Amino acid sequence: MAIGANVYYEDVTVGDEIPQLEKGPLTTAHLMRWSAAMENWHKIHYDKPFAIEHDKLPALLINGSLKQQFVMQLLTDWAGPDGWVWKASFQFRAMNVVDETLRIWGRVSAKRDGPGYGLVDIELGIVNDKGKESTPGKATVALPYRGGKPVPYPFVPPQA
Amino acid sequence: MSILSEAVKKYIGMQSETEIACDSVERGAVRRYAQAVMNEDPIFFANCANNERYGGAVAPPLYPTHLFRRPFGAPDPIQENARNPDFDGIVAAISSQGLPEIEPLKGYALLNGGSEIEFFRYARHGETVKLTSRYADITEKETSKGPIILVITESEFRNGDGDLLIRTRRTQIRRK
Repeated sequence: MAIGANVYYEDVTVGDEIPQLEKGPLTTAHLMRWSAAMENWHKIHYDKPFAIEHDKLPALLINGSLKQQFVMQLLTDWAGPDGWVWKASFQFRAMNVVDETLRIWGRVSAKRDGPGYGLVDIELGIVNDKGKESTPGKATVALPYRGGKPVPYPFVPPQA
Repeated sequence: MSILSEAVKKYIGMQSETEIACDSVERGAVRRYAQAVMNEDPIFFANCANNERYGGAVAPPLYPTHLFRRPFGAPDPIQENARNPDFDGIVAAISSQGLPEIEPLKGYALLNGGSEIEFFRYARHGETVKLTSRYADITEKETSKGPIILVITESEFRNGDGDLLIRTRRTQIRRK
């Protein structure tokens, strides 16, 4: 599927894998660039002696906030210009360290009709180059019906 | 032994004043952010067909959550801590999303435990962003490495017109 293309609710089946995203290897320069962009100076992401000797970490850590960005790119790329990523949740269960390559993945776990659009639940996560999962999460994406209108913007959630 | 004192529990339910980010959504800051996350989608820098319905160029979805930075004239914690070997670089005003720092947890390590986020609209270039937060819950949990404290913060980010952009529920892990 080309990035920027629309995916329609009818074309989605429970169990479908959504196109994966790969980021990395993520070097100290990547981590420093992200820390500078968001002006967060937590040393465990760029000060190796502090991370290892003071905070007793194995290495510089890849920011959880950076991993969230990758998950959001996975979801928004898939939702397409007429869809909308309504909800996303992440748990930082394990550390990812500098120089790892991350593979961000998602799988359709459920779908249901909504008011003028369809809702698709997704299980997701981030796996490093050793195959270890670090960031399990869930998302709900609103998709347009084929032949229907784009998902309303600003997004109005369905009534409970 | 519990590390969750009554003094810490008093912070549960505390709500922040509405804070306005010191900078509006600026094109250059969006560029640095998009390049840092390695997602240079044209909707973030140009008027194009894919952002027409958003009203023009927008910031990446989570951008508003990172917009609350140290304003001009505020104390500089990096300079203030230049000779403090235990300073971890965390700037409290940023990490606590506009809420007062939990005083009894000063000096505890801080890790990001995860987030639940709802998205309603993007922040457009030129818009201001406002933040209101509250400490929704603070609990203790036993782990193999000893007790930890989980601080749950709920926040709403709105644009200058008061339109809801994002709602977040964030877990911070604090440990001695």
